[in-house]
Amino acid sequence: MDSHIIRRPLTPGRVLKVSSILGVSLAVTVIISLMLGTANVSLEDVLRMFFHGSQVKESARLIVLKIRLPRIFLAGFTGFSLSLGGLVFQALLRNPLADPFVLGVSSGAAFGAVMGIIFGVGFSIGVPLFSFCGALLTIYLVLTISRRKMGVESATAILAGVIVNAFFTAIIMFFIATSSEDRLHSMLFWLYGDLSQSQIAYSGIIAPVAFFGFALLYSFSRHLNLLAAGEEAALHLGVNVERAKFICFITVSLMVGLVVSFSGLIGFVGLIVPHLSRMILGSDHRLLMPVSALGGALFLIVADTAARTVISPSELPVGVITAFLGAPFFIYLLKTRGSRWTR
Amino acid sequence: MDPVIRFNHVGFHYGGPWALRDVEFTVGEGELVGVLGANGSGKTTLLKIADGLLVPQKGEVFLKGRPLSIYSRAELAREVAMVPQETHFHFAFSVLEVVLMGRFPYLGRFQFEGRRDMEVAREALAATHSTELAERSIYELSGGEKQRVLIARALAQEPSLILLDEPTSFLDLKFKKEIFDLISSLVHSRSLSGLVVSHDIELAAAYCDKLVMLKHGRIASMGSPEDIVTSQNIEDVYGCPVVVDENPLTGAPRVSVV
Repeated sequence: MDSHIIRRPLTPGRVLKVSSILGVSLAVTVIISLMLGTANVSLEDVLRMFFHGSQVKESARLIVLKIRLPRIFLAGFTGFSLSLGGLVFQALLRNPLADPFVLGVSSGAAFGAVMGIIFGVGFSIGVPLFSFCGALLTIYLVLTISRRKMGVESATAILAGVIVNAFFTAIIMFFIATSSEDRLHSMLFWLYGDLSQSQIAYSGIIAPVAFFGFALLYSFSRHLNLLAAGEEAALHLGVNVERAKFICFITVSLMVGLVVSFSGLIGFVGLIVPHLSRMILGSDHRLLMPVSALGGALFLIVADTAARTVISPSELPVGVITAFLGAPFFIYLLKTRGSRWTR
Repeated sequence: MDPVIRFNHVGFHYGGPWALRDVEFTVGEGELVGVLGANGSGKTTLLKIADGLLVPQKGEVFLKGRPLSIYSRAELAREVAMVPQETHFHFAFSVLEVVLMGRFPYLGRFQFEGRRDMEVAREALAATHSTELAERSIYELSGGEKQRVLIARALAQEPSLILLDEPTSFLDLKFKKEIFDLISSLVHSRSLSGLVVSHDIELAAAYCDKLVMLKHGRIASMGSPEDIVTSQNIEDVYGCPVVVDENPLTGAPRVSVV
């Protein structure tokens, strides 16, 4: 018995180590993505731009810094937020299918954004605000519909999400169909996830919210571990369950609402990345949070790079790529791993 | 000395008729008290009140002499631990991770488990004979093993009072005995107090120091197992005729349905 040494399952050092590895991979991915596109830019040129900008051709400089970089940043923060949101929703509802898209929060946010555009509010603050309200409204609806005597029923929540999702998508489609010809095309693109209109200013708005949201959610990471083990158990172990759930749902809605207003509806990120993280790293959210967030950023940057290169000089909406990669991957997971989340 | 927990004329209702009425009893240090009663007699409600999840509309509960209502959730989790009837896990936590969850009320927001927490967890695993299970996934365990791990998690909370809600209802005979052996030795060896709700009258009678019988939310009878487990009491509470005699080997009461 003495020979049986039980080691600490998770240390801060391990969280830092794994996050650093992902951070470095993310940086490398960003650099590679900056090189790729209709006009290829060499690695030296990309690196030179950041260190001694003068020696690079003006056209390459413009492409990399004004077009690709803002887009990569937006893709990164969008993936970061959606994936973190998926992880948190899955823990809160104890259901592997929960993510911002499935629960209808994304389309609720999109509905809010469309309303904002119709009312003609400002794009930098007004539309994201409407979008956030749409996300909040959806999560409120979904949780209210699925609330039973003993708390929220997670299978019902998923069903409610699917229904709310369909409803909001129908409304959005109605507005698109009745709007003028020109706006129609861009809105359709946006509906399937479009990062092509990115400006660096968007990331200036999203970045603080993403980091603040991450910090706030991370302070609940152990609460989420316990909630993932069951609400009643969490209560017995000293978690203020209602407060933790309230703060987490609001924070995720804020993050998702914001990214949807800039990037449109992008599915599967919040499903695949957390799922993959759990398969590899277990169930402790203190590790899963940074891994899912950074992994989500990485995944969406890769997907968006593919979206703008595979049929170059034309482009695909990034949501097409995530669904195209995500659906078969997900089926593979379900078939080989079963619906349970074993290690 | 104050009892660990004291129910003082406690009354509770869920918005309809009274689920508990004028419940008054205590659990002392190192005492294991069993709560018996038919389905719907208020047993689980009683446990939820003891854990602060439900607040009685009448009377008051005192934990170590202080009213339960002034404890915060975390404070309460350091004093009172609950072993649930049956727990489904939806994520592949390892046994050690589950046991370490018991340390939640002792840790700060961004804090990781330290040496002391690991010591407590190891000790809890050893006390429940679950050390070899530590690295296993909670999914792989049998019902009896899982129940031991949940008791270990409760011990990791270092509570004064441990509540058990029908801890043996999904177990076969061998594990039922094993769990009661474990609970009773834990309670009696480490000045812990136990309040166990059970449908196993004979096991409860064999292991508990005191029994409380509930009927329609009231205490129908209370006292030592020998005094309480009588055919008359059981018929009264469960509405089912029985014969009670003495187990020829152990001398404990034996209940037979007739």
